[in-house]
Amino acid sequence: MLPDTTATRTTETRNTSLIDSDSVNDRAAVDHSVTDHAAVAQAASELRTLESGLDALQSVAVTEKSPWRRFLDSVLPPVLLLVALTAAWQFYVVIAQPRPDLAPGPLDVAASMAELWSDGRLQLAVLTSLERGGIGFLIAVAIGTPLGLLLAEWRLLRRALGPLLSGLQVLPSVAWVPAAILWFGLSDATVYFVILMGAIPSIANGLVAGVDQVPPQLRRVGTVLGANRGQLATLIVLPAAMPGYFAGLKQGWAFSWRSLMAAEIITMGGTIGFGLGSMLQQSRELADLSAVLATILVILAIGILVELVFFAPIERRLLRRRGLRPGGIR
Amino acid sequence: MAGQSAIQIDAVSKRFTPTGPLVLDNVSLTIEPGDFVCLLGASGCGKSTLLNIIAGLEHPSSGSITVASGNAAVMFQDSALLPWLTASRNVELALRLRGVPRARRRSEARELLDVVNLADAAEKRPHELSGGMRQRVALARSLAQDRQVLLMDEPFAALDAITRDLLHEELDRVWRETGRTIVFVTHNVREAVRLGQRVLLMSSRPGRIANEWQVSGDAHRRIESPEVSRLSAEITDQLRQEIRRNAA
Repeated sequence: MLPDTTATRTTETRNTSLIDSDSVNDRAAVDHSVTDHAAVAQAASELRTLESGLDALQSVAVTEKSPWRRFLDSVLPPVLLLVALTAAWQFYVVIAQPRPDLAPGPLDVAASMAELWSDGRLQLAVLTSLERGGIGFLIAVAIGTPLGLLLAEWRLLRRALGPLLSGLQVLPSVAWVPAAILWFGLSDATVYFVILMGAIPSIANGLVAGVDQVPPQLRRVGTVLGANRGQLATLIVLPAAMPGYFAGLKQGWAFSWRSLMAAEIITMGGTIGFGLGSMLQQSRELADLSAVLATILVILAIGILVELVFFAPIERRLLRRRGLRPGGIR
Repeated sequence: MAGQSAIQIDAVSKRFTPTGPLVLDNVSLTIEPGDFVCLLGASGCGKSTLLNIIAGLEHPSSGSITVASGNAAVMFQDSALLPWLTASRNVELALRLRGVPRARRRSEARELLDVVNLADAAEKRPHELSGGMRQRVALARSLAQDRQVLLMDEPFAALDAITRDLLHEELDRVWRETGRTIVFVTHNVREAVRLGQRVLLMSSRPGRIANEWQVSGDAHRRIESPEVSRLSAEITDQLRQEIRRNAA
């Protein structure tokens, strides 16, 4: 056992409201000598400098790219590739001279697009489809999110419904189109039904996966900090599950958009409006390949735009806050 | 609170399953307010289990436990900060869950971060901080809970030696300034002797308290000082004996 050398310990700085002062006196003799106080203060300030020095050594300053630089880095490569592909395509058409009705060149497609634009069909189709896709997606989020939460937290429901939901996620939602037509006729309800059947399982499963990946340690911390069930869910589990949930949302949007196109191609007429899928089908019936290709390009472009303008910035923020980097977009 | 102990453990035993091995065997322990107690032992001695029982994260199979202040703050080996919140917000969350009104949270979080010398890093997120800084934020967060009892489960085990040495000094200072009761679990003998006033050695399978040492609380003792070395050697010998018993 060590010889007791506690006689010079200071207790002036002790917060006596937190502790009974008798027990402090039990442990250490109080010594109010000025020199000792100064020594402790000096030791404390020495420790501060030491710590600051070590902190400076151990932290690496993160240099952020300027927004302009980031824009160039992320936009330039795909645009250059697109230009090269189009040039190669035009080159092929000029050299090989294929039948224009089977292999139209980029210029023919551009002309078709201009024609679709000038008679107003393109704008109408884009707006109709975007509106339906957007509304359908929002409804799917509103249903899929609480469903996912229930599945994540209620074990019995998860055992019962989990496999079914995973099955639905694999089932192509086009398979629902015939049934939906029989149930709802040729109306918008058919289109929305197909979108929901495609998107809800993805969103719910994404949220479940996100919640499952929350480190148990974070829940323990919540418990230790005194969070009740509701606070644990809203302040800790949900924010921690955001990356998985967001991945589910992205997939949900992709499924919405695809289901919508499929539904629009198959169901035409009735009270269903004129969407991009309908335009595609109409051009096929007219055997107008350049209009078909133009429509496909528009559908593709909308998918890319939604990803770039809407999902990518949110995802970048979400991941960067957690010290993660989204792949590809840096 | 005079005369009342901070933590009272009476004949606590623990099995994780009714037929499973005995993890803790009839452990009794009294910890006084303001004590710095180190629980020392090899892997599998149930020291973390005992800590979790004190924290209320697990329940004893038999026996009783009383924490005078009602509840305890806990610090883990990994800092367990919420990765999407800044250092300041992490501390504020603890204040919020304690019921501190919104208007006061920010300034109180700043003060607590200043206690661990991290006021400048308040707006940084955990991934921008070094391991030692993260543990200091975690320390500030457990101080924010304002509990009399602070439980620490190998909080410095994953840090490099230089950082750990500084954090020992930091913790020692915080303990002296705030008068908290600290129960510190470690498998590092020198660390236990460097920090604790009382060092409890636990035997493994089943976990029991095998021996206890009192360490004089010199504020300026260093981990490399001869007193610490001497006592560490003595405790290590006994720890090895306890481990040897499991060889057969």
